[in-house]
Amino acid sequence: MSSSSTADGDDEFAVGDAPARPYVESPIIMATVRVVAPFVFTLGAFVMFHGADSAGGGFQGGVIVGTVILMIAIAFGVGPTRDWLSASFLTVLVVFGVALFMGIGLAAVAFGGAFLEYTAIPVSHASKYGIELVEVGIGIIVSGTVVGLFFALAAGHATDEAEEVEE
Amino acid sequence: MTPVEWAILAFVLGCAFATALLRDVLASIIAFAAYSLGIAVVWLLLRAPDVGLTEAAVGAGVTTVLFLLTIAKTVRPAGDDLFVDIDVTALGVSGLLVAALATTLSALPAVGSASTPVATSRVTNYYLENAYTETEVENAVTAVLAAYRGFDTLGEAVVVFAALIGLLVVLDRGVLA
Repeated sequence: MSSSSTADGDDEFAVGDAPARPYVESPIIMATVRVVAPFVFTLGAFVMFHGADSAGGGFQGGVIVGTVILMIAIAFGVGPTRDWLSASFLTVLVVFGVALFMGIGLAAVAFGGAFLEYTAIPVSHASKYGIELVEVGIGIIVSGTVVGLFFALAAGHATDEAEEVEE
Repeated sequence: MTPVEWAILAFVLGCAFATALLRDVLASIIAFAAYSLGIAVVWLLLRAPDVGLTEAAVGAGVTTVLFLLTIAKTVRPAGDDLFVDIDVTALGVSGLLVAALATTLSALPAVGSASTPVATSRVTNYYLENAYTETEVENAVTAVLAAYRGFDTLGEAVVVFAALIGLLVVLDRGVLA
């Protein structure tokens, strides 16, 4: 929880005992990511929403959406990206995904059906919309988890920071 | 087997050996990413686009980034050798495992054969005939995942969720601050 810690994980790959160089802002990578990110995000959303009718689904789409955040973190530094995406937001997002999935299942129970029996919900095309919402829930869980794993690995263990020599 | 399939197979095997034998960890990770990409194409050739998409996104994409992040946090052992020294014992065990698995290859049906148990199974035909009318989604894979076995998929989603929570607990970080 040390706010003074440098943006760990932004170091170049250290070879042998050579000191790790700090993260260098590359204008080429930054410009590229700035252009490509919206398109990758759109592809992820498409795969997530279109999984019911073509290849793909919540899991694959969620991974692609999570990759957008990874790209931004690699281009602009892990530290600033972590500050930009507040940790509580990420946690709430993942919990919301699980709640959405379970909510669909429980909604069917509330209308007298079995758990996840979409057709019990008295909405036109309930099955299709229910499956789409479930896919979105899975997508939210997976994208949040991918980003969370990335940030957690980049931050390292809490005791690491005490051992590291501040430059 | 078309020339394209042979080429992909050779590519995948080459990447697998490179991953195992290259001394430099960074080179090994890059070879492993290429291996995943090759496997994704193999899934596509086997008419499994959903699996191929997952392999490309997770195997070639996210896993590679996480590996790179891991070696960025640690140090790469310096060395002038291109390849690792072969451990004969490990090679023997690997060889035996591959040989044992290879004995099952002759029992596999031809790719795309119409007489396989999967293609002739009543369950398969039930899904293909009724998936659209019962679930209103055109992708039979999604119909099975989200409707016919929705409860299992919920369990899988919760496992992914639990992995994140477990990692946060292990890394002793209440939040990712």
